[in-house]
Amino acid sequence: MSILTLSRRSVLSGSAALMASTALPARLWAQTPAKGGRLIVAADSEPRNLNPAMVASNGVFFVSSKVVEPLAEAFFDGKDGLEPRLATSWEGSDDGLTITFKLREGVMWHDGKPFTSADVAFSALQVWKPLQNLGRVVFKDLEAVDTPDDHTAVFRFSKPTPFQLIRNALPPLTSVLPKHIYETGEIDKNPANNAPVGTGPFKFAEHKAGEYYRLEKNSSYWGKDLPHLDEIVYRVLPDRAAAAGALEAEEIHLAAFSAVPLTDLARIAKVPGIEVVTRGYEALTYQLVVEINHRRKELADLKVRQAIAHAIDRKFVVDTIFLGYAAASTGPVPVNDKQFYTADVPQYAFDVAKANALLDEAGYKRGADGNRFSLKLLPAPYFNETRQFGDYLRQALAAVGIDAQLVNNDAAAHQKAVYTDHDFDLAIAPPVFRGDPAISTTILVQSGIPDGVPFSNQGGYKNEALDALIAKAAETLDPAARTELYWEFQKKVAEDLPLINVAEWGFISVARSSVKNIANNPRWVVSNWADIWVDS
Amino acid sequence: MKTLSRLLRSPEAVAGFALLAGMAAMALLAPLLFPADPLAIAGPPLTPPFETWQHVFGTDRLGRDVLAGLFHGARTSLAVGLAAAAAAIVAGSLIGTAAGFAGGLADEALMRVTDAFQTVPAFLLALAFVSVAGPSLTTVVAAIALGAWTGPARIARAEILSLRERDFVAGARVVGMHPVEIALREVLPNALPPVLALSSVIVAGAVLIEASLSFLGLGDPNRVTWGGMIAEGRTVLRSAPFLSIIPGIALVLTVLGVYLAGEGVVEASAARRSFA
Repeated sequence: MSILTLSRRSVLSGSAALMASTALPARLWAQTPAKGGRLIVAADSEPRNLNPAMVASNGVFFVSSKVVEPLAEAFFDGKDGLEPRLATSWEGSDDGLTITFKLREGVMWHDGKPFTSADVAFSALQVWKPLQNLGRVVFKDLEAVDTPDDHTAVFRFSKPTPFQLIRNALPPLTSVLPKHIYETGEIDKNPANNAPVGTGPFKFAEHKAGEYYRLEKNSSYWGKDLPHLDEIVYRVLPDRAAAAGALEAEEIHLAAFSAVPLTDLARIAKVPGIEVVTRGYEALTYQLVVEINHRRKELADLKVRQAIAHAIDRKFVVDTIFLGYAAASTGPVPVNDKQFYTADVPQYAFDVAKANALLDEAGYKRGADGNRFSLKLLPAPYFNETRQFGDYLRQALAAVGIDAQLVNNDAAAHQKAVYTDHDFDLAIAPPVFRGDPAISTTILVQSGIPDGVPFSNQGGYKNEALDALIAKAAETLDPAARTELYWEFQKKVAEDLPLINVAEWGFISVARSSVKNIANNPRWVVSNWADIWVDS
Repeated sequence: MKTLSRLLRSPEAVAGFALLAGMAAMALLAPLLFPADPLAIAGPPLTPPFETWQHVFGTDRLGRDVLAGLFHGARTSLAVGLAAAAAAIVAGSLIGTAAGFAGGLADEALMRVTDAFQTVPAFLLALAFVSVAGPSLTTVVAAIALGAWTGPARIARAEILSLRERDFVAGARVVGMHPVEIALREVLPNALPPVLALSSVIVAGAVLIEASLSFLGLGDPNRVTWGGMIAEGRTVLRSAPFLSIIPGIALVLTVLGVYLAGEGVVEASAARRSFA
């Protein structure tokens, strides 16, 4: 019943707003943020756990980043590419063993208790380090957090830890949880995981499974005159075609994370009152990667891997599969990363003749049926594009005489087959580059990772030189020296091809033009949206 | 002879057989007319239909020829439909015969198993089977047969129950034939016609289930299927609806053809029986 009244009301208010805007020709205050109003957003999935400090993933952040805030947020042109949130300043010691955070004063949790350094210490030691999927790597050497006063937190590491890495990890990895709510009972069973309590501009109001999430304004938010909106409603629309229709019918204001399929963008961009926005995902770059099982004797041969890299037409992938909304990759760090990217790596141009020659050289001649050998190819089922690239790769390999048999699985079966059972020859994965190679990129090629860790090297690849390089970079404190080590890393990966990077892409938002202040930071879609407003 | 002329007099049956003949021709001619892999990228993506002679029905999102897909898809659809129906009828009539002829506890046990299978919707059963066993052509056929054998089994059993009391069965017993021989050589052939009448329904159902499985991504990804083509077209439904409509029409025509032909055969043979 409530969803009926909700959607009907929202449609009515939407159409009333439209009438009002056409009735008043002079929109003099168009750029002065309007107060109040409701933003309705399409949500394509309903994460079970909404605790961003435990599950650092974009699906969780999409809702919970408005409620629970990190120490700092990514910023297009701030110092270190960061904008203060719960921390106002951060300082690393020269020996790499301590980092001092000054915390914001006068911040209240949604339940009225004050935010203090004890909350930061609790989150870091009890949640980020032991429980968080990415924090386990980045904070592995965090030993203690000292709290000399309520607004200072000093992180102490047992081994030198690069300040650059911690800075880059602040936006995605440091959501602060309230200690007083989490200190009793088991953290992963706390009811606040499903109804988060934070310091953010919006309070979690309710979740109706299969229908919507509702967040309401936090009127005691620390940001001056923020937030602008009264509430944000995430309408669950798992069908991608439905999101486009709902935008056109003005039932929703915004569909993020490419909820509107790429193929529909050209058409919907022409609809008046609707904008297609590609900004706001710069720090959430997804990479299209061919994972290789080096246990297969053919694939353990570098010439075969080079041949596969030459057989892939990256331009076709970008233009046809991604319709231009992607970039061709050169190596394991995306082109749009300003800190670490280098173009100075071996490149593999699309060249079928060369690929064939390399395979002949490796000793795999074509048989009577034109095939050299057969492979099992497992495309990840998470995105349309990964599946389509699977169809394409099968054809690209057929052109060089490799018979690839596609195996389609659902998400759970795919993860088990590739990352636990290693029952694949080639797989297609969409890992995320998170602003620093040490957060989630080096793990893709490093050896010695236990079975079952998703998006890690499960292909049996082992290269001692590369492992040593990764270990050295993880404890090099000087940012310039560290960056140089990662240039070397990119070069080595492109040379030896433990995996093949094909393309990289960010998502697309489609919004009604009445929604203002969108896409204004590199993680905008998973930032707190305090300054977003709806022009009515 | 009489049946055939009756068949030819019914316009539904003629239309049904014409449609089926067309589909069979497509399936048989596919490797001759389109010798290349139908999944190969053959031209620019999303060419609309009737624009070039090279791609009469256009190309899909990756530039694969829709017409070639349609022809090769007919192979998959018909092969799966016929194989699944054959498997279901063979398994069903054997189980039905065994149950009906043996009677007693064996009959009870087999029929309760049949009941158990019949209470689960055939499509759910197929979905569960393929998700566990992994998608490939043989598992799809097995999955469809798994939900379709109960109909033939029940009908075969009912027929056998009446046939086994006939004089010629008693005669065979007196001659000293082995019960299994009596069941398979004397009784089963006489029970078959009504079971075979079910085949059109089973084939049509199998074609649809195969298409649905492929639509949900549970078909064999290394083959073209109409269901898979419709699913691929769905992402571009607003800008290139032909990608879903063309294989959709092929699917409708096939199922319609099988139904009409089956109806015609049943009616013609029923008429023969009542006149006889």
